[in-house]
Amino acid sequence: MPSTRFDIFRYQPDVSDEYYRQEFSLEHTEDATLLDAILDLQNTQDPSLAVRYSCRSAICGSCACKTNGKTVLACTSQLESLKSEFGDDRLAVDPIGNFTPIKDLVVDMEPFWTKFKSVKPYLIPDGPPPEKERIVPKEAMQKIERESACILCAACYSECNSLAADPEFVGPAAFAWGYRFAGDERDGQRKERAKLYSGDHGVWDCTRCMYCNERCPKGVEPRDAIEKLGGIAFQEKVTRDKGARHAKAFLISMRTGGKLNESLLVPYTDPLGAPLDISFAAQMMAKGKAPSPIPHRIKKLKEVQGLIKNVKETI
Amino acid sequence: MQQFAYYPGCVAEFSSKELNATTKTLAPMLDIELLPLPAATCCGAGDIAEAKPNLYLTLNVRILSQAEEMGVDVLTICNVCTMNLRRANKMVKEDPRVLEQVNEELVKVGARPYEGTKEVTHLLWYLATEEGLSKLEAQGPRGLNGLKVAPYYGCQLLRPSSVMGFEDPDQPQSLERLIRALGGEVADYEAKSKCCGFPIILARQEVALKESHVALSQSRDAGADCMVTPCPLCHLAMDAYQRKAESLNGTEYNMPVLHLPQLIGLALGIETSVMQFKRHMVPTDNVLEIVGA
Repeated sequence: MPSTRFDIFRYQPDVSDEYYRQEFSLEHTEDATLLDAILDLQNTQDPSLAVRYSCRSAICGSCACKTNGKTVLACTSQLESLKSEFGDDRLAVDPIGNFTPIKDLVVDMEPFWTKFKSVKPYLIPDGPPPEKERIVPKEAMQKIERESACILCAACYSECNSLAADPEFVGPAAFAWGYRFAGDERDGQRKERAKLYSGDHGVWDCTRCMYCNERCPKGVEPRDAIEKLGGIAFQEKVTRDKGARHAKAFLISMRTGGKLNESLLVPYTDPLGAPLDISFAAQMMAKGKAPSPIPHRIKKLKEVQGLIKNVKETI
Repeated sequence: MQQFAYYPGCVAEFSSKELNATTKTLAPMLDIELLPLPAATCCGAGDIAEAKPNLYLTLNVRILSQAEEMGVDVLTICNVCTMNLRRANKMVKEDPRVLEQVNEELVKVGARPYEGTKEVTHLLWYLATEEGLSKLEAQGPRGLNGLKVAPYYGCQLLRPSSVMGFEDPDQPQSLERLIRALGGEVADYEAKSKCCGFPIILARQEVALKESHVALSQSRDAGADCMVTPCPLCHLAMDAYQRKAESLNGTEYNMPVLHLPQLIGLALGIETSVMQFKRHMVPTDNVLEIVGA
């Protein structure tokens, strides 16, 4: 029977305000999961060890935690696979990141739920309800299929680099749900949602670190949802945010030369702030890092201009 | 001689010319011939994808088709270009209907349709294999003289691994292998694959500079003489914006940041004037002194 050593984050606020770590060792079956092990430790070695869980089947989204720094669902992560992945017989177990621990592996999910609710994660159709059910073509539902699979486990939120720097960022899971409804053809709030999601700490705060896509245990790929919400903002002409202006500068560059016109990017993104940053611009210029304002022009630019004109978006 | 369609990306072509110049000098030393792509556009850097996803896909497939016409794979020197091109390639290779739709658009404007036969690789990936390392060794590198280098991967050369797939995104080792092969010492630190913040550095500067702080402060605390990165966007965030990050975060890093080809160039004895260290915002004098360049 295999055995595993654990180095577990502990926080028992009833006893002490200090965080500490505790070593455990456990014999277990070949196919035991991390959740099996935590529950076994709770039952046989330390009944105070706290963990949040419910379904044990990757449906409820309760048991996400970090092992050796990587966020996983404890119920679907087998110990032997984890040890082999990390090349280590000892597993560090921590609560998910970007949250405040309440007790051991249990965190305060309140900020997550507040942000989730803020995106209006429900269908808001236009007009009165029809007499019969709304028939939606299969293709229309396939567009939002991935996002519909989100179980709100917060694995994406746990390692979001934007959130680590800006705790008010709405975050990947909420925006996946945002697209799940903004992209639903029965919803009547496309423009309103584009406005709601484009504000401070909104979709344009995403730094594209791709951790959310990497960590999601259900293949939701929240970063792709955020990207699609950006696309909807463009379709609905909600493009005043600096992030949207940044993307617009790329589109203008593409049309006028085919390559990024870096000299356009700064003033176009932040027309009010850029002129105030003269000393930085001067430093960049002194190092030859201020590019020519005359855009580079690629060969066959007409092809590109034709594509910009022709290609239709299907977000 | 291994031929590639060379896709340096916009930043290396314009504001970070030192990267392009160094790569062009380094390539023939490693038996690589870089073929230009004069009609290639910007990859969109994630911004075009965020505004017009179908346009992003079509523009990137157009680039891949140009490489296909030349009969060679694409070589990049930028994380973001690599990810955008590979993602588009994956999307059309995995779904013939998507390829057909994209090709219809390409043909309409007189561009060549893509058959889906080409691959996109980054210079780091090409060199961090046994074959690549043996090419470096064949140059008889004078070495880095124990220079302590903090590898900085950034995000988009590692994640999403379903698109990138060269190495474990949580335990990457390609930069470490190169640093050691070149006679350098690795300064290890946790944040080597965290985000530099560059994609939002103009729109959300404070958030971005808090992100770059994590890797800059950790590499400093790990005792690194310098940082090395395979991405010119990360380089801008870590080098050009380093003083701003210091000011915002109330600390000093004084961390020289090298482009990957510059680190290799130092070990292989490329003239420092060719590698244009003077274009860096953070002085690299201590690095050149240790290496004896």
